[in-house]
Amino acid sequence: MDFAASLKLIAPELLMSVSGLVLLLVSAWVGDKASRAISVAAAVVLGACFFLVAPAVCSGASGPDTLAFGGQFSADAFAGLAKLMIFAAGGAALVIAPAFFERFNAMRAEYPVLILFAVLGMSIMVSARDLITLYIGLELNSLAAYVLAAFLRTDDRSAEAGLKYFVLGALASGILLFGMSLTYGFTGTTSFEGIRVALNGEMAMGALFGLIFMLAGLAFKISAVPFHMWTPDVYEGAPTPVTAFFASAPKVAALALTMRVTLEAFGAQDDAWRQIVIFAAIASIVIGALGAIGQSNLKRLLAYSSINNVGFILIGLAAGTPAGASAMLVYLAIYVAMTVGGFVAVLMLKDENGNSVEAIADIAGLSRTRPALAFCLMLVMFSLAGIPPLFGFWGKFVVFQAAVNAGFVALAAIGIAASVIGAFYYIKVVKVMYFDEPADVVKGESDWAHWALLAISALAISPLGYLLTPWLGNLADKAAAVLFLGV
Amino acid sequence: MVDLSQYLPILIFLAIALGLSAAFVFLPMGVARLTGAHNPDAEKLSEYECGFPAFEDPRSQFDVRFYLVAILFIIFDLEAAFLFPWAVSLDVTGWPGWITMMVFLGELVIGFAYAWKKGALEWE
Repeated sequence: MDFAASLKLIAPELLMSVSGLVLLLVSAWVGDKASRAISVAAAVVLGACFFLVAPAVCSGASGPDTLAFGGQFSADAFAGLAKLMIFAAGGAALVIAPAFFERFNAMRAEYPVLILFAVLGMSIMVSARDLITLYIGLELNSLAAYVLAAFLRTDDRSAEAGLKYFVLGALASGILLFGMSLTYGFTGTTSFEGIRVALNGEMAMGALFGLIFMLAGLAFKISAVPFHMWTPDVYEGAPTPVTAFFASAPKVAALALTMRVTLEAFGAQDDAWRQIVIFAAIASIVIGALGAIGQSNLKRLLAYSSINNVGFILIGLAAGTPAGASAMLVYLAIYVAMTVGGFVAVLMLKDENGNSVEAIADIAGLSRTRPALAFCLMLVMFSLAGIPPLFGFWGKFVVFQAAVNAGFVALAAIGIAASVIGAFYYIKVVKVMYFDEPADVVKGESDWAHWALLAISALAISPLGYLLTPWLGNLADKAAAVLFLGV
Repeated sequence: MVDLSQYLPILIFLAIALGLSAAFVFLPMGVARLTGAHNPDAEKLSEYECGFPAFEDPRSQFDVRFYLVAILFIIFDLEAAFLFPWAVSLDVTGWPGWITMMVFLGELVIGFAYAWKKGALEWE
């Protein structure tokens, strides 16, 4: 095995781990006054990794040249595209954090280090081609995420969110491990390639149980129904920049991982997992839509919205075709832009003392006091609802198209019907902002970094985003094709 | 079908382990009863569990620093658990195996240095 070639393939991960360790020591010796400098350094590292990964994505890298360490790790175009989204979301989480935490006097130098390690874990997750690599990446991400959820440690809700996330996350990891051990026991290998070969033909009952347990563990990580209960509580309790991070990057990583496990490792047994994915998709869409209706807190509303969106993304997986996988990637890219935009807008809602405003009632009449902010929030809400001509429509469109072409007309029809229910609460927020009497609560100002991020996300999800579709679709097609090489 | 007879050594090993541990528990009790004075009281009959009373309200407060020490202990305990299989298989894994373990140990040292600098090891 050529060690040098392997090390070259994991260059982004190496860069992140080494700089993460160095920044950890800096944070210990210099202390919290270096928080901003460490944030900048971490953002630079993520930017460098972005450019290290980009060439593989553009060239559609695949095949044996992308496999490192005897096939345990794959730096192919699929992993690359997911990594680009993860790095972008991680960078956004670094940019929006200092201003938020400094209000509580709680900005610590560990925050950027934890984000860096979480991103590293996710980057390993999406490149995993072996159950062991998968688990290491997942845990590295989760352990950093548990701490991040409880980062405002004097705040009861944040501590509660951290504890809840930890207990339920540990349970999900246990279920996943159990499924992995069953899969290993009945196939005799931990490599995705080997599992696929071993399961060609009949599938033993034990391997089926392994698959179901693994899917249950992964469904928790992507917060798909029926493993979604933690999402609203954790999203509401965690500090808003951390929530923005949770709703974007780990979703991409866990969904990409789910795609790898189902399409690569269990690709020969698609009938076995398809029913589960279809159930999770429909249940997520319906419960995400119905659950959001009664919410009065914007962060909880966005949590249900993310459950709802994961359901739509899973429709692409249910199709089980290259077009479906490509549609999922396109949807994920749009979803990241919408989520980051939505949470940045929520972060910018501050009262005169600079405290966060999260209640929907408090943003009444925002269009008269803060027209630009209200307009951006409206774009995000309409895009999440999938109303044309906004870009969120395109994500839903490609997913439904893939499902219909694969013969799942009923699934697509249920999805479309449920998205109408979902539109209700998105439009309710817009109605409150534009037609209600001003509550006059939002008075705080935001710095240029927030405005810049909000402007970028708003531009990406505006009708201008359609200019990106040929390019994004091409990248997603090339990335999705990697998963179907073994067929 | 799996040939279960090849697992016989494990079964024998488990039986011996069970027998030995039972002997370690009950032998001292028997010997003590036969040789020493036997006048039990409530304190003597209570379970011994690391200096804590075995049954009490779990919501009682105790020092969070115990947790810090426990967490650090687990990390370095697991490190030792990794070192044993690494040491006996070093002739197979060779230089890559050696370098990998040194990288792992280096990372743990960095974590240790962080914990030390942050004051996790200071009791007062």
